[in-house]
Amino acid sequence: MAMGGHASFTIGAGAGFAGDRIEPAVRMARSGEVDAIALECLAERTLVHALRMREADPDAGFDPRLARRLRPLLPHAAHCRIVTNLGAANPLAAAHAARRLARDEGQTKLRIAAIVGDDVAAQVDDVEWAQATCDGTWLGAHAYLGLEALVEALAGGADVVITGRVADSSLVAAAPVHALGLSGAALAGAMTAGHLLECSGQISGGNLAEPGVPYLDAQTYARLGYPVADVAVDGSATLRLLEGDRGRLNVAGCTLQLLYEVHDPSRYVTPDIVLDFTGVRLEALGENRVRVSDARGGPRPERLKVIGFLARRGVIADVEIAYAGTGALARARIAAEVLRLRLPRELGLAEFVVDLVGVDSVLGRASRPLACEPPELRVHVSARCADAELAQSVEDEVYALTLCGPAGGGSVRSERRARVESITGFIPRECVRMRVEWADA
Amino acid sequence: MTGVGDIATGRAGDMTRVGDIATGRAGDKGDVLDLTLVAYDDAGYRMLAREITSGRAAEALKHVAPSEVMRYEVPGLRALKFVAPHALPGGVHASLRAGLHWQKAAISLLLDLEIHTVADVDERRA
Repeated sequence: MAMGGHASFTIGAGAGFAGDRIEPAVRMARSGEVDAIALECLAERTLVHALRMREADPDAGFDPRLARRLRPLLPHAAHCRIVTNLGAANPLAAAHAARRLARDEGQTKLRIAAIVGDDVAAQVDDVEWAQATCDGTWLGAHAYLGLEALVEALAGGADVVITGRVADSSLVAAAPVHALGLSGAALAGAMTAGHLLECSGQISGGNLAEPGVPYLDAQTYARLGYPVADVAVDGSATLRLLEGDRGRLNVAGCTLQLLYEVHDPSRYVTPDIVLDFTGVRLEALGENRVRVSDARGGPRPERLKVIGFLARRGVIADVEIAYAGTGALARARIAAEVLRLRLPRELGLAEFVVDLVGVDSVLGRASRPLACEPPELRVHVSARCADAELAQSVEDEVYALTLCGPAGGGSVRSERRARVESITGFIPRECVRMRVEWADA
Repeated sequence: MTGVGDIATGRAGDMTRVGDIATGRAGDKGDVLDLTLVAYDDAGYRMLAREITSGRAAEALKHVAPSEVMRYEVPGLRALKFVAPHALPGGVHASLRAGLHWQKAAISLLLDLEIHTVADVDERRA
């Protein structure tokens, strides 16, 4: 790495979502060739869950998987730093939890930092929302922080940096940006590498179907290696798998990930730089090895993006019942029609969907036509319900089909989801008070 | 849609499935559905760029994710992006589809489109 006099820094993508696999990051830490691991573990869904946990207990609100994820990495953290958003809604509590975990593992010298300030619930009046706010109770609002505080923590000697809501590309790019002292065009490159790595296995063969190329086999998916990037001082990077890791890291997958969720490819707004991917070059350097270069960047935005969560009254009931054997399709279609008749008439429901799992429950009316009768299928209903009692009635209506509907209905499955809506907005940078807090022994 | 095509290259009316010449992936942010297609060669990219207009993409989405669609072209990467800003009202949690995150499958709506294959004249002569 650069601090040792070399011209590149190796950053690994150890996780791309809260429930991601544990062992790929452990292999990176043990390899001895990765300078830092980024663990991206925070999405809308997980942040909402964390906010609810913090509401119940002020010392909670960080990712409950923190111990499972960090325990095997901490013994390596002195030479392989960890940068992660496992802090979710409570990064300081997460840092103290990591401190206790490190002590239990005999790692008493590790320096652990928390980045706080992304929680802007108290500054919500400073936010300009992009959509009209709907009715509901505020669960929280979080600004997407950038590199600044992360780099400050690393410069202060942090071995482990724990954040809440930080832009994913910044989270991954922080360690190489700090170690190599990158700015300007080189910063654009490092942030591009960060963006490419933020979804872990989605760039090493996961969620990739190529025309005329066989799918990866189950053995490979079951032990997919996660990508690492050797970031050079000019910001170009070589993305690769560790020696012995399985997967498929190629130009096609890198192109998909480069453009993943960026909307306008010439203007991908991060807190640190506005990236232009239209001139990016991706070159295959051999098996599972791709070089990325020529990203461009413009000045960072004056305002930071904010995500807000509103809990609306009521719940979504999501219930299914199965039909199997000869005539399953006809019986399922009749059952679906029964629900369409009864839900508005008996329960007064206006917002609901009835469809068939295995036929049209994912793509609805845009589904491909059914080529043959499936041996079994499920009738699915989702309904917006004003309260839990009405959601129970929806479940009851589906269950009643076992006695009062077509023959053989069974295998009923039922779940309820809180009605949470997310909205985005922008807040002036100076309204966000981010800072580094140390969780020292 | 027969009879549409470039007479100079013949074989007007030949069709291909988009997923046979391109790879793709769906993502989302808030209520925005974000779809990417990447062609495997320059001819494939020109085919996609000619056939899959923003209107054609909006038509493909209309039953499950109705929205206007903005198209972005990245010829250097042989990629097209289709961004549907109001396709997922209320975001992931507000959906009435079965389970969570149905929109990961939404790329099938573009990959399963059938488009005309007729290549442009310059490429045939090259």
